[in-house]
Amino acid sequence: MNKIMIVEDDAVLCSELAKLLENSGYTAVGIEDFRNALDEMISANADLVLLDINLPDINGEQLLQEYRKHCGTPVIMLTSRSSGLDEVISLSYGADDYITKPYDPAILLLRISAVLKRSGKAVSAHNYRNAEVNTAKGSIKLDEREQILTKNEMIIFRLMLDRQGEIVTRDMLMTALWDNEEFVNDNALSVNISRLRGKLAELGFEDAIETRKKQGYVLK
Amino acid sequence: MKLSDFIKDRLPAYAIYAAGGVILLIFAIAMRIPTIMCVIAAVVLLLAAVCAELWEYSRKRRFYATLLTNIDELDRKYLIAETAEPPAFYEGKLLYEILRETDKSMCENVAEHRRENASFREFIEMWVHEVKLPVASLQLILHNNEDGAFVRSKALEQLRRIDSYTDTVLYYARSENSEKDYLIAETPLKNTVKETVIKHRDDLTAHDVGIDTDIPEITVMTDGKWLGYILGQLISNSLKYFSDTREPEIHISAADEQDCVKLCFCDNGIGIPAADLPRIFDKSFTGENGRTSAKSTGMGLYIVKNLCEKLGHRIEVSSEFGVYTEFIITFAKNDYYKP
Repeated sequence: MNKIMIVEDDAVLCSELAKLLENSGYTAVGIEDFRNALDEMISANADLVLLDINLPDINGEQLLQEYRKHCGTPVIMLTSRSSGLDEVISLSYGADDYITKPYDPAILLLRISAVLKRSGKAVSAHNYRNAEVNTAKGSIKLDEREQILTKNEMIIFRLMLDRQGEIVTRDMLMTALWDNEEFVNDNALSVNISRLRGKLAELGFEDAIETRKKQGYVLK
Repeated sequence: MKLSDFIKDRLPAYAIYAAGGVILLIFAIAMRIPTIMCVIAAVVLLLAAVCAELWEYSRKRRFYATLLTNIDELDRKYLIAETAEPPAFYEGKLLYEILRETDKSMCENVAEHRRENASFREFIEMWVHEVKLPVASLQLILHNNEDGAFVRSKALEQLRRIDSYTDTVLYYARSENSEKDYLIAETPLKNTVKETVIKHRDDLTAHDVGIDTDIPEITVMTDGKWLGYILGQLISNSLKYFSDTREPEIHISAADEQDCVKLCFCDNGIGIPAADLPRIFDKSFTGENGRTSAKSTGMGLYIVKNLCEKLGHRIEVSSEFGVYTEFIITFAKNDYYKP
């Protein structure tokens, strides 16, 4: 379970962000007192920090610069300003990514998992139960039997595999597909999922993907 | 200043001189002054008068002639007094003083408006950033709230509209002036297109639009945020004008040519009537399509054109009414930008 620190002074936004992150299987912590923001950030020992640029007392970019002197934890900047200059400054101070408000929750989650993956904090599974998953080849192999997945099916399967046992919403699946330039619609997603189910069943995993009504899917 | 006009202007004075001369002549005849004396006196006075007039003409001419050429060449004509030298003659001095006063008050006036304008613009920018906060909060609240999926998706759609309208305000405020807000750098085209498409995902899926992109891995010299906004405008523009009889499609492709990169944005919507085509980038122009669809403000494409010009890109449009609309953005490959 990865721990994410939220440095955001707007209370409503902060609590909603925390809710979003907790629903997606992260632990979220906020800042109690912005006068000690830096100390709290360091002592929280988080795996990733979401940092707002407009903060009381201190500018997020300065805070980032100070924070970088102490630890190399990945930082994603959140901002409502959207000039290129802010982005360049943030990145040059050592931010790992930069997202402007209002953010699409699905995109935010994708970016978070991408940054965590890059920093090596997230573990990416290479096996499903006792089958071997080969992303490069796009295949799942169990003993001598092998199923070839299409690009879309692989994207869906990988996302579910990284969150095995947790709910993956259709929204997240769609975002992941679109992020890979597969601009599919709702029907195509359903078709892809049922084909993936079929292929997993061929390998003997009949009940692999469970549908949670109105919520999404769980890979068991 | 022409000599003939100057003389015409002085005619009443000459008439008075002439009347004076005639009276003197009558007196001279009455007092039996020798004719030769009269002739000499007349010639001397006439010469003196001509010299005086010529001198007067020449010094006035110098002052006014510079003034006239300067005002022709000046871009901001109200600055004329700044260019003039103070003249040596009285009327000129008066005029000069008046001009300087007018000038000063005009400059103060302009500066005041400029300050007001700048602070208003700053306020608008700040306001847009502030309004984004509640929009972001609401978006998350809706996202986290699991029940009422129908209401939620409706509310999210409206929120996105609010967001895109506030963006329009922001980019309008920026496109009209200030060079400081953009940063031209090598931007991966594919990525920018992808992010923009994802940003509009819900709208696109709601309309069931088929999207297909064909963009090579190239970079262009532009500001990624602005380009994203431009593409976003083109997408929402397409969404407004899809045909009811066909499956909506958007095709985005790019071609890497020798001295430029061309980004084509093509949809199979209702198209634009040929008569409207030359004017679609004009401010507040809504055209035939705008009249039939109430959503048009005539600002979107105007801002797009403006931003493209600021960034140094060319944007062209071609369309066949009822068949398709295509926008082509040309990015120059200019080494000048590169460090």
